[in-house]
Amino acid sequence: MSETRPPGTSVDPANVREEDLHAFVDGRLAPSAAAAVAAWLSARPEAAARVAAWQSQRAGLQSLHVGLLNESAPLAMTSDLRRPRHQWFAGLAASLLAGVALGWALHANTSGASREAGLFAHSAPVFVRDAAAAHAVYVPERRHPVEVGASEQEHLLQWLSKRLGAPLRAPDFRTEGYELVGGRLLPGRSGEARAQFMYQSGAGERLTLYISVFPEGAAPAPASFSYAHEGDLQSFYWIDGRQGCALTGTVPREKLAALARKAYEQTAS
Amino acid sequence: MGIEEAIAHIPRLRRYARLLTGDAARADDLVQDTLERACRKWSLWRPHVASRSGDPLRGWLLTLMHHLHLNQRRDYRYDDGHDEIDVLNEPQHEPLAVAADRLDLERALQGLPASQREVLLLVTVEDLSYAEVARVLDIPIGTVMSRLSRAREHLRLSMSGAAPVAPRTPLKVVK
Repeated sequence: MSETRPPGTSVDPANVREEDLHAFVDGRLAPSAAAAVAAWLSARPEAAARVAAWQSQRAGLQSLHVGLLNESAPLAMTSDLRRPRHQWFAGLAASLLAGVALGWALHANTSGASREAGLFAHSAPVFVRDAAAAHAVYVPERRHPVEVGASEQEHLLQWLSKRLGAPLRAPDFRTEGYELVGGRLLPGRSGEARAQFMYQSGAGERLTLYISVFPEGAAPAPASFSYAHEGDLQSFYWIDGRQGCALTGTVPREKLAALARKAYEQTAS
Repeated sequence: MGIEEAIAHIPRLRRYARLLTGDAARADDLVQDTLERACRKWSLWRPHVASRSGDPLRGWLLTLMHHLHLNQRRDYRYDDGHDEIDVLNEPQHEPLAVAADRLDLERALQGLPASQREVLLLVTVEDLSYAEVARVLDIPIGTVMSRLSRAREHLRLSMSGAAPVAPRTPLKVVK
């Protein structure tokens, strides 16, 4: 094999190399070069048989396990993402893909690799960190930001209330310039149901309200407004009865605090 | 960028891993490890703006998978992919209708040294350009071509006359 030409660029009809034959089989040659190789092969039955065998290998290999291309990813893949060594992912919205999206979201929201350890002070309750994770995953989503849209608000609230086992209300932020986009159901760390409502301003800025309903007797002590942040992302959270709520976004702190107060007034049990 | 972009890669990664490892369970483990590693290393990923063809995200995922597979081979002491044990233990749980030559081809594929199998699969099944294969595996393009050549000849000799594959003596035609 001579080393003068990169494979597949052109072919010297007087000197067809082995690389040219591979490029021919793999369809990497320009039409004129492919024609030159074909002509060369027509006079050499042994080489032609070899090339024909490679062509059928190629087609055969491409046909192996094609069924997998139409299968959805097994759920078992997703559960392993919750292993303790991935603390940050542990409570995250269940799917593997959510994990991938998180990578993106973190990449987009922050710089620096220390994000994994530093996100939200560990003094913040677990559900607040989960809320931030869910925020990071779904807020950048363009096509599927929510499972059920605001146009079906009644159904949305009934459904999420039923799954979380407590009557939920979606606060109305319209006077503050935020419309409800809709909501989705999310898994907590022990598989319990959680809810996320998403809001959007006219400028496209998004907020999420994350709600966790604690089991009877297992709720943390009631807490008034607390604040956690990491980079631009901040949360105001509170615990009222069995419900823990976290309002998360990148709006200025005072604005977020005002919205959180409004949410609390509207949803207090 | 959205979730859909990553979803789109999973089925292909699973098929590639299935052919690379020759085993459904090990293949899915490999895909999962690849995605986990991708999650953790996301901030290090810099798409090759310069790469003219192909999908940079896919190339990166394939590179991560290559490194993981390489480590596994070392862990299991698969000396350059002498997957003899795999070939023997590979359960024949394919449905009956699968053509015999497809099974032959798959067995012959598993009889290749892993380094050759990788190149052959990236070129044919993944349809990457030779330059992309060189980048994914981090080897010179000349090495890509020589491995490709050996893989194809190995496979051809294994398949010719439906001779049974002899993993340890790959280049001899039996009988």
